[in-house]
Amino acid sequence: MTQSTWNGVAAAEPSFYAAGATGEQKLDIRFTGSGSEYFRIWIVNLLLTIVTLTLYHPWAKVRRLRYFYGNTLVDGHALDFHGNPWKMLRGYLLVAVMAAAYSVATKLSPAAGFVAFGIMAAIWPALFKASMQFKLANTSWRGLRFRFKGKVSGAYKALLPLFVPSLIFLAMTLGVKDPKSLGSQQAVALAALGIMLLAFLLVPLLLWNLKKYQHDNYSLGQLQTELKASRGSFYAVFLKTFGVSMLSSIVVGVIFGIAMALGLFSGLGGRGSAALIAGLVFIVIFMVALQIIPKPYFESRFQNLLWGKTDSDHLHFKSELRFAPLLWLTIKNWFLMIITIGLYWPFAKVAMARMRLEAVTIATTLRIDQLHDQLRVADGDAAGDAAGDFFGIDIGL
Amino acid sequence: MTVDYFDGRSARAHAARLHIEGDRLHIDGEQVSRTVPLSDVVWPERTRHGARVAHLADGASMHSRDSAEWDEWMKATGRSESLVVKAQQSWRWVCASVAVLVVALVTGYQWGLPWAARKAVAVLPHSVDESIGESALESIDKHWMKPSALPLEQQERIRAAFESAAATLPEPTVASHRLVFRKSMIGPNAFALPGGTMVMTDELVKRVGGDEAILVGVLGHELGHLRQRHGMHMLAQVSALGAVSAMLFGDFNALLAAAPVWLGQASYSRDAEREADAESVRLMKAAGLSPMVMVRFFEILAMPNPDEGKAEAKEGGAETSPKPIDDKAAPREPGHRSWLGIAIASHPADAERIAFFRNAAATR
Repeated sequence: MTQSTWNGVAAAEPSFYAAGATGEQKLDIRFTGSGSEYFRIWIVNLLLTIVTLTLYHPWAKVRRLRYFYGNTLVDGHALDFHGNPWKMLRGYLLVAVMAAAYSVATKLSPAAGFVAFGIMAAIWPALFKASMQFKLANTSWRGLRFRFKGKVSGAYKALLPLFVPSLIFLAMTLGVKDPKSLGSQQAVALAALGIMLLAFLLVPLLLWNLKKYQHDNYSLGQLQTELKASRGSFYAVFLKTFGVSMLSSIVVGVIFGIAMALGLFSGLGGRGSAALIAGLVFIVIFMVALQIIPKPYFESRFQNLLWGKTDSDHLHFKSELRFAPLLWLTIKNWFLMIITIGLYWPFAKVAMARMRLEAVTIATTLRIDQLHDQLRVADGDAAGDAAGDFFGIDIGL
Repeated sequence: MTVDYFDGRSARAHAARLHIEGDRLHIDGEQVSRTVPLSDVVWPERTRHGARVAHLADGASMHSRDSAEWDEWMKATGRSESLVVKAQQSWRWVCASVAVLVVALVTGYQWGLPWAARKAVAVLPHSVDESIGESALESIDKHWMKPSALPLEQQERIRAAFESAAATLPEPTVASHRLVFRKSMIGPNAFALPGGTMVMTDELVKRVGGDEAILVGVLGHELGHLRQRHGMHMLAQVSALGAVSAMLFGDFNALLAAAPVWLGQASYSRDAEREADAESVRLMKAAGLSPMVMVRFFEILAMPNPDEGKAEAKEGGAETSPKPIDDKAAPREPGHRSWLGIAIASHPADAERIAFFRNAAATR
């Protein structure tokens, strides 16, 4: 799909390829943000957000993104964020009203909840596309704005399937005539199980669908990226993560079992508190096994796959995020988050951003100087731009 | 001041010099020479780390090569900084912000949120309560309850006893209500759902040996919940608390973000229980009953259940998904409760409640 625009560009700008013969150039990414500085920004943002009853949120977001972008140096040049907080406020209010209406509807009755969910599913892809468009159009590097070239139809294809499992399930529970009869209860439970299993099996595919839509449509100047990862490679990452999760559960479980057997937990209080402690320990194991170990594993493998397979003509990304350092960082962040009751958060975020960003390099045979926007690009996208402009939404995806 | 100038159309950097004359900015360098009014320039904010980029309306931008030099230059031009930028760069301001933040969170949690919830619920029509209560009852019936096995005449007797007690209260202070009985899978319990449905389980009636004075006291407590619309307040407060918590911790970990909601909900719930206990006393006194019956009630609950082993060892109803907003009877291990238990319990400690009713009985 890049081909048609590409030819036109190539004809207009032959020198763009000139460096191609002379070899590859590496653009490295450096992150120069500091935890203590982001802490100050974060605290002030938080305070103003709370005393304005969250109306300050868009300004906080702009300051946060400016800080993170301004400290992300690609080949020595920082990214920049251009969002206008007043425009973002409109999007924020719209989403807030929608979220409130949705949560009221789900509490009102199952039928109202179902309708609300349907409406949400129907407009979410369009909002998502507008949000992507807004985010990219307001990000720049070397004075050039990025663009998101995805179409609304593509957004529906990518996102609607995500809603299908829950939609079917909701419809079914509504459709059951007599919820008291044992037969229908069993049927619902069975169907729920089936749908959950199906959803579980479909997650990698659905995620691939979504990432394909996103990563096929990033654009800067004449460049447009394409995701070349296969569906199978997504399944492989999920499968391996599942394996890591199982393995860590077993290891943690065995350690816990041995500790129990050694009587480490005896004498820690009467029957009530023993149960309480056992419960807490179980929660900790659950967290370690399901969150702390597999999550960084997945994140490192997934980032490497996703960005390693995102290419543009004559430009390749490479991501070498390693599991062990990421795991160590995750454990450290968790520990410090808990003992500082959350105040460590900005430090954690900066450290995480540094590790994840600096793992990425860009190799290109193009002469970056020759990157440029064709005269007044995106004429055909004007309507979409207006929508993105109107919503100015960021859903945080 | 030397910068990289980008025209916004191409990624090529042009070395350029900036200088300000009067209210105009002059940009001069290789292939650039332009003058713009200062008011058209969007200036960057000062940070210790990170690039300085100034923007022009047509998409052109000027990137500093040395942030410190840029800041010096800005200072020399006498541009004032916003208060926010100053605050972000000063530890003194940041410490003050932390203090104000803590005060704001604590007051908001303690008074602001309950107040806002009361106001918000006050404008909601009662039909919303009813609709929420109905769907909650439906789901509770589905998962936790069976039809009552109590003889109809006993049900009627309890109803009549309660109605005659309620009739002694001034008319406008009695919430509309409907009493239903259910055989439960969660042991002795009674709770009030938004909209006016009070559910009492067969197990509770049996546990107190059908003692109508006690049952009236318990129902008075539930009526108090209804009058105060506690269920609705709780929904509103928990939603708001969830939003704030998600804002604070959500992007770190959703599970961690749920903890404050859980603890906050329990604390709000304990406050609501105290209010409902006071309402129960109001009803009993109006009806000429002694609040001592509630003391007796707690004593019965504290005793081991004669017929049913440990069926009710857990907080009744706490696990049903659309919360049976209030569970009353749920007996707990007497005395033996750690601070951790208190922090996550939905009711005040039994000892505190017993003391409250005893005290109420003593004062006229």
